[in-house]
Amino acid sequence: MSVEMNTKNGQITISTEVISTVAGGAAVECYGIVGMASKNQLRDGLTEMLKKENFSRGVVVRQEDDHVHIDMYIIVSYGTKISEIAHNVQSQVKYTLSKTIGLNVDSVNIYVQGVRVTGDD
Amino acid sequence: MSLQELDGKTFAAMVVQGSRYLSNNAQMIDALNVFPVPDGDTGTNMNLSMTSGQQEVKNVTTDHAGDVAKALAKGLLMGARGNSGVILSQLFRGFSKSLEHKTTITTVEYASAMKQGVETAYKAVMKPVEGTVLTVAREASEEAEKAAEEEKDFIPFLERVVKAAKKSLDHTPELLPVLKEVGVVDSGGQGFLTIYEGFLSNLKGEEVPEADSGVSMDDMVSAEHHKLNQDFMDTADIHYGYCTEFMVKFEEDKLQETPYDEEAFREHLSEFGDSLLVVSDDELIRVHVHVEEPGRALSLGQQYGRLTNIKIENMREQHTSLVGEASSPSKEKSEYGIVTVAMGDGVKKLFESLGASVVIEGGQTMNPSTQDLSKAIEQAHANRVIILPNNKNIIMSAEQAAEIAEDQVTVVPSKTIPQGMSAMLGYSPESTMEENKQAMTSMMSDVKTGQVTYAVRDTSFNGMTIEKDHFMGIFDGDITVSNPERLDVAKGLLSEMIDEDDEILTIIYGEEVTEEELAEMKDYAEAEFEEMELEIHEGGQPIYSYIFSIE
Repeated sequence: MSVEMNTKNGQITISTEVISTVAGGAAVECYGIVGMASKNQLRDGLTEMLKKENFSRGVVVRQEDDHVHIDMYIIVSYGTKISEIAHNVQSQVKYTLSKTIGLNVDSVNIYVQGVRVTGDD
Repeated sequence: MSLQELDGKTFAAMVVQGSRYLSNNAQMIDALNVFPVPDGDTGTNMNLSMTSGQQEVKNVTTDHAGDVAKALAKGLLMGARGNSGVILSQLFRGFSKSLEHKTTITTVEYASAMKQGVETAYKAVMKPVEGTVLTVAREASEEAEKAAEEEKDFIPFLERVVKAAKKSLDHTPELLPVLKEVGVVDSGGQGFLTIYEGFLSNLKGEEVPEADSGVSMDDMVSAEHHKLNQDFMDTADIHYGYCTEFMVKFEEDKLQETPYDEEAFREHLSEFGDSLLVVSDDELIRVHVHVEEPGRALSLGQQYGRLTNIKIENMREQHTSLVGEASSPSKEKSEYGIVTVAMGDGVKKLFESLGASVVIEGGQTMNPSTQDLSKAIEQAHANRVIILPNNKNIIMSAEQAAEIAEDQVTVVPSKTIPQGMSAMLGYSPESTMEENKQAMTSMMSDVKTGQVTYAVRDTSFNGMTIEKDHFMGIFDGDITVSNPERLDVAKGLLSEMIDEDDEILTIIYGEEVTEEELAEMKDYAEAEFEEMELEIHEGGQPIYSYIFSIE
């Protein structure tokens, strides 16, 4: 599947894989995120952290008519203000997508799938 | 006063002062915000986070340093806003953890608390980005560890920490490309430094200065422009066309008439401009504003004193050239391009009308270099480029340029302007490079070239003596006629050149030829060679008064 944009010079087609990788990349650079979780593993009730090269799997890109929605499954660090981190991820992902691919997404939905407690807590 | 142990009250006072420092500088820090999202809120966010931390600290009733640190961490966590706020809360969360059971703090303990704060902060991110507040905090804490071994007193200790943080902050543009591009330091890092400057000034017993000049105006101006460039896609969208910067040196008598009020001044300016930055102290005001009428802004400033360091730039022009630069390389390469060398505007136009893509200025006395030719090849922006040197001295450099070019380039060795022009007639965009080269070269050999010019020194050629400043006629490279009168030379040369097989005579006259002379020339040619078709063009070339092309 891919997202299509119509411009006056023709059509631009961007595969969802590209979008999810860019979105995932933006998210893991965001402070407070310690990992992405795969959506598929939810069935088993397990939230496993994805390996770095795999983080696009924690991102789901949906296209409804002309609207693009992104769902992100994240794991955050314990002892942080999670609501604020989720908010930061939203704005950073939205900004990065519009800057690098020129794609304006309608929503970035954040699913906090886990909290990781780091060593000294 | 020596201060070897921090108690809760002292630390709390430090925090309060740090927070106040930050809040005074929040606006400036906002202006620096270009990363990760250039929304200009870092200062505001950090300030809100820190204010929340500070309020929590004020509620602490004991004199226990660990409790104060814990309260700070709690307040920061609850009030964390934005990326920088969250990071700040983590830095102090680790910090407070380390000091949990300490009633008072030594420099060594403080340093190790900073270190733990940094460790905690780094743990909460998968992919730390260097060149941000994280880097500044880490490098400051590294220096703190070293400093703590030597300094037992908090004032010199914190002085070193602040110095290291400043150094680290100045280095952030090297680590994070977007900062360097815009020409600013990291906003979060600046916030961190500001807090520490507040800590230090409290220990030293200094007053809180009004908005600190720690952030340079230049940085803020760069950041403003960066935000603007992001906003404007089209030059037509610019409402305020002139970037206006100036300083006002206060003058006593003027101030008596119109007392200076920064708030009012700001408001007044913002009525007819945006991207406004005003920084003032007792002696001067520095202003940066985008307006449509720069004069109004200047007059407004002039009410308070003398104007200095005025800089006004037309942003529309800058933007147009910026947009132009960005869009031109994206143009698609054409299949064929022709690069040629000519002197004189008229000759240049003739070549362009024949289909040349780039005409380089040059000729007999001014041979273009290989580099000039290479540049022209690039400009032609084509997959295949043909060069017509139009002069035998340029053929060599043209061949060199062809060799080093990345595109497919060939040289059709035209030695004169008429040869170049006839060669153009043999060119066909549908043919291959080889076919074109052949066709063009064979067209070239069908044309006879005559040139009329003057001698720069006495000389002799083929038994003919030529005096300096006399005119001479050159027929395909050989001097055939010489005479003090230009018109006589031209006539003589034509009769030498033309035989009964010729059909077309083209005259390209140079910049020295007068109208009367040209009229006489025309009458002569029409009368003498009535069988031939005559074409006359203004070449505007120097040195050669006439160029004849005969086919």
